[in-house]
Amino acid sequence: MFRHTMLFLGYELGNVRRNPVWPLFGILQPVLYLLLFAPLLTTMTKGGTLADALRMFTPGAMMMIALFGSLFTGFTMINETRNGVLERLAVSQAWRPAIILGRVIKDVLVLIVQSLLVMGVAMLMGLRLGVASLLLMLLLMAATGLFATGISYGLALAVRDEGGMSQIVQFFALPLTLLAGMLLPISLGPQWMQTVARFNPLYYSVEAGRSLFAGHLSDSTIPIAFGLFAVLGVLTLTWAVRSLRSLAG
Amino acid sequence: MIIEAHDLRKTFVARRGRGKTEKVEAVRGIDLTVSEGEIFAALGPNGAGKTTTVRMLATFTAPTSGTARVAGHDVVKEAAKVREKIGYVSQAGGVDDNAPGRESLLLAARIAGLSRSQAHTRAGELLETFSLTEIADRPVKTLSGGQKRRFALAIGLVNRPPLVFLDEPTTGLDPQNRANLWDEVRALRDQGTGVLLTTHYLDEADALCDRLVIIDHGMIVAEGTPEKLKREVAGDVVTLKLDDLPSGEKLLAAQPYIKETRAEDDTLRAYLDDGEHNLPALLRALESGGLAIRSISLARATLDDVFLRHTGRSLRDAA
Ligand SMILES: Nc1ncnc2c1ncn2[C@@H]1O[C@H](COP(=O)(O)OP(=O)(O)OP(=O)(O)O)[C@@H](O)[C@H]1O
Ligand SMILES: [Mg+2]
Repeated sequence: MFRHTMLFLGYELGNVRRNPVWPLFGILQPVLYLLLFAPLLTTMTKGGTLADALRMFTPGAMMMIALFGSLFTGFTMINETRNGVLERLAVSQAWRPAIILGRVIKDVLVLIVQSLLVMGVAMLMGLRLGVASLLLMLLLMAATGLFATGISYGLALAVRDEGGMSQIVQFFALPLTLLAGMLLPISLGPQWMQTVARFNPLYYSVEAGRSLFAGHLSDSTIPIAFGLFAVLGVLTLTWAVRSLRSLAG
Repeated sequence: MIIEAHDLRKTFVARRGRGKTEKVEAVRGIDLTVSEGEIFAALGPNGAGKTTTVRMLATFTAPTSGTARVAGHDVVKEAAKVREKIGYVSQAGGVDDNAPGRESLLLAARIAGLSRSQAHTRAGELLETFSLTEIADRPVKTLSGGQKRRFALAIGLVNRPPLVFLDEPTTGLDPQNRANLWDEVRALRDQGTGVLLTTHYLDEADALCDRLVIIDHGMIVAEGTPEKLKREVAGDVVTLKLDDLPSGEKLLAAQPYIKETRAEDDTLRAYLDDGEHNLPALLRALESGGLAIRSISLARATLDDVFLRHTGRSLRDAA
């Protein structure tokens, strides 16, 4: 089982190695946000410096790749439901969860590299970050990515239609982004928004990210986010693996 | 027996939009036996249920009812054991377009349990066999349809299975590549590998297989060797165009050497053995009956005549 997961992972990483530019495109958006949006926030923060703005804003910008980047990874699999690749793998000796797990782990690894790059840019711009915060943030990104890629592969296998899937992703992505306070903290908003946000899992990862970046490592938001995404990650991955079965009609 | 299937059935529940569903009886009771090292064909028009049958035997789709044993194991209860013993090349091919073919082949070999170095050796052999070595490192999407098919085949054979399923292996191939593929399938048999292939090409089933079944509307309508099936119809067929088809049919049906007649649109087909010898008599009979012949031809009976006999329509216009 572990061996098959590693084999699929190796294969997927081979594909990434042959085409390394795509993941770089993925970080363009958050980097632009850091360069062109974060400076606008300086007056809103207590300290009033760019470093303060970055401390508040970078976690949200990073969660954008964890959400958007990951939600779209499943698209590659829709084609494979038709061109026979999954059909062939389904009747091979492969351990079925490995087909999904190999890809998910690849996506998470790519996400971690992207996160490092985005944090690198933020640090160049003046953000200061402790090692523990940095490592925990990477872990949090991985957990969030696990959840979002699980949804993405599950959707791809359940919907099996590019048009339908992009509609669904578009439909959910924007409200999830806004109601997670990715751009600006939800605490700035009215009470009803704060209440609604509590039903959005991403709200917890953004809040936990902000606590990490602020250096408040003992904040309760952090264990809550990790616990939540551990559970959600397992659920969405299980759903994705089970959706493989529906291929057979 | 490498395949033994009893009364296999598959009913799909297809969505029709707006929450309505529709039942599709894709396979309606199929019995099959295929022995080791045999080339066995399932011949039938589009939608006959060939792919569904193969998918059930290859453990992809679970049958709605019925049982099948492949390489000695039940396809539902012991699917994992069956999967060790089969190769499966789907109608769609199933080669990853974005990676080089060699990578797909290596991955398939490793999944089948080979070590890294064994996988390289096996991949090298297969690439050589299918003349793919030169193009093994190009992304598959840059290859031609025939080259992709050959990769699909190579991947299907990576675990040296005693049985391979080939679902319409020659669709989309040019005559040259088709002939090459036939040779490769024969070579497999010579090494003792059983092959179950589907096709809607009459000549392919005729030339290639040891035995075949003809499938129509999810059921087997005829089974046997190509020779036996054709012999049941007759050795030869005379195809006639006449001004007065009905009386022509009546007259010919009464001749002792005519086994069967069949009128279709404006043509009349008369089945007979030993056509070369009986043709003069047939011509005399028509002449003495005062029937004008617009055209006439004599040919060997084909599997299409078998299909026609069992289904009442020609495979050329079935589907
Ligand atoms: N997943 C599915 N859901 C619903 N109906 C299906 C499904 N798969 C096949 N069918 C239906 O079952 C019937 C048999 O299909 P099948 O693919 O087995 O035919 P086939 O003999 O392989 O045809 P072809 O020569 O076109 O490949 C068809 O009517 C088809 O529409
Ligand atoms: Mg088919």
